[in-house]
Amino acid sequence: MSRDARERILSRVRDANRDREPVSHPGPLPEAAEPPGPFTQAADAEVDGQTGVADPVDAFENRLRAAGGEVVRLADKAAVRAWLKEFASEFESVSVCKGVPQGLQPELAAAAPSEASLGVSLAVGAAAQTGSLLLSSREGRQAQLLPPVHLVWVRAQDVHTTLGEALQACREDLPATLALHSGPSKSADIGQILVTGVHGPGRIIAAILGADA
Amino acid sequence: MEVHSGDYRARARRIIEETPEVREAVTAATRTFVEHRLEAFADLDEDALSHWAERVKSHALTHLADYLEEAEARLVERGAHVHWAESASDVHRILERIVRDNGVKKVVKAKSMLSEEVGLNPFLESCGVEVLETDLGEYIIQLFGEPPSHIVGPSIHRSLDDIRAIFHERLGTPRDASPERLAAAARELLRNAFLTAEMGISGGNFLVAETGSIALIENEGNIRLSTSVPRIHVALVGIEKVLPKWDDLSIFLQVTAKSATGQPVGCFVSIIQGPGGSAAGEPDGPEELHVVLVDNGRSRLLADPEVWEALRCVRCGACLNICPVYRQTGGHAYGYVYSGPIGAILAPGLVGLEETLPLPFASTHCGACKDVCPVRIPIPDLLHVWRKRAVERGLTSGVERSVLGLWASVVTRPALFGLAEKVAGLIPDQVVRHLPMLREWSAGRELPRATGRTFRELWDEGIE
Ligand code: SF4
Repeated sequence: MSRDARERILSRVRDANRDREPVSHPGPLPEAAEPPGPFTQAADAEVDGQTGVADPVDAFENRLRAAGGEVVRLADKAAVRAWLKEFASEFESVSVCKGVPQGLQPELAAAAPSEASLGVSLAVGAAAQTGSLLLSSREGRQAQLLPPVHLVWVRAQDVHTTLGEALQACREDLPATLALHSGPSKSADIGQILVTGVHGPGRIIAAILGADA
Repeated sequence: MEVHSGDYRARARRIIEETPEVREAVTAATRTFVEHRLEAFADLDEDALSHWAERVKSHALTHLADYLEEAEARLVERGAHVHWAESASDVHRILERIVRDNGVKKVVKAKSMLSEEVGLNPFLESCGVEVLETDLGEYIIQLFGEPPSHIVGPSIHRSLDDIRAIFHERLGTPRDASPERLAAAARELLRNAFLTAEMGISGGNFLVAETGSIALIENEGNIRLSTSVPRIHVALVGIEKVLPKWDDLSIFLQVTAKSATGQPVGCFVSIIQGPGGSAAGEPDGPEELHVVLVDNGRSRLLADPEVWEALRCVRCGACLNICPVYRQTGGHAYGYVYSGPIGAILAPGLVGLEETLPLPFASTHCGACKDVCPVRIPIPDLLHVWRKRAVERGLTSGVERSVLGLWASVVTRPALFGLAEKVAGLIPDQVVRHLPMLREWSAGRELPRATGRTFRELWDEGIE
């Protein structure tokens, strides 16, 4: 039955297009038409004396902050240790995604994702254009979603300028689900008043590794 | 979903006269959407973007069968089950089977207009399944027992006070609870549902043929949870949702979000290639992924040489937000899941012209919708096609007059027309530009003359 439905739908679709002039794919969007991500573009251009070049890490930070996210830049291991210790003191328990190295795990009691007050993950990339962190389901999704606060590590070298570039970098080896997190969970469904932390984490902190503060 | 579009005029009048607060709420909300959209597009080459997006979608539609087969092959390779549904009843049968085979008792749903279109909730409930809408707006209208009144903001017609009252009654929150408190109550209840449901149901914003990816845009995280926590994920995807290539996705995600809410992209995007969990060697995620490719009238619309372009729609809602007619009533007047300008062209195409008749006439011909559409659907032209066909088929006796007459009577009563606009401020530029046309149209229906003043004067008076 379902086989027949498939054939019927496909043949109706083919018939529908039979007398129609096929439209060709326009190819990639011309670069000039790309939505500008970096708010800093103009300012940086002045400083550098050239146009259209902005540090993707700066731009990423601006975008994510504008959406209500938090950003810290940590230049080296010492900076990571000091910051993480201080940051972890706000929380009782943690749920850590699979690929997060030991040195990036806060010293907190481990808890199930549904119980933990903090979730920690490692992004596979980031996009300045949209302020997005790219997260792989291979790391485990629940720690990215269930705790009220989500700390995401990302390496400065993995921050791409456009979302297209960031997605392209993942193209060859896609996990079951690739997710973009570009701000805290929010909704304006109650009388158009903005509320954060509706279902997903109400706080998202991007900790950028290898970026000068 | 049952279609009640034939009652458009009576419903619209009832909403305007009996619940004027709906117009206030809808106008305020849509005006915010419009402002945010304008800001988002301010530094963009909107023309280049929309021409590009139009071409990608038209390319996908003119090669649709091949791309559907490609998407299916990719999904199957990753272990997903792909089902094909010609109609709403096919969708029901497919879901019934999955529910029965897996002993599903509870379903969490992420917002899906297609699931509304095929009446999925009542069907699942008739199978003894508990269904919980998890998008906050959808959850609110589920409590009210209402259909969505906007494709992006399903509950925009409801005020904070309405929502306080129903939450008080159903969830026991205080009568004066803050929005934060109300959201927290819903979060708690739905969090439990995410953790106990056997199945999550979502729609799909895009289906990327090259990689078999289903992309979903949202802000709350409920879609991520619905597609990650329960053991089974079912995605209902209209066959027109195809994008050819992985590289097309990044721009469509951005254009859709910018056009809908003015955001650079939604707070969360899920890009799903297959089932997760042990099947994929991953720590968690659904063990089963079912993708239901739904026709339900789309192939017939595709075959229509004059109206097929409506299938490019990415459901951003921009044409609703800008539409002066939609703003008067919100979506419920249209009696169909898709409302506003896009609803008025999709309804006759998907359901039938006779069944949805007055909708193509629910327009002031101002053309504002065409200017905001990110995939350049010539909405006014398509409305014209349906109106022309209605006349040719002799279906219009009194219809046009009654619908236009309704709007003429509204727009010439400043007390009514001014109300919402006074709250919300000025009318969009595109609409104002077309005012003289509106005036003539109203004059032709002889009502404005009764007051001896022009529509523009009345309008100004209404917003002074
Ligand atoms: S018709 Fe265009 S503007 Fe309207 S919802 Fe669809 S894509 Fe958006």
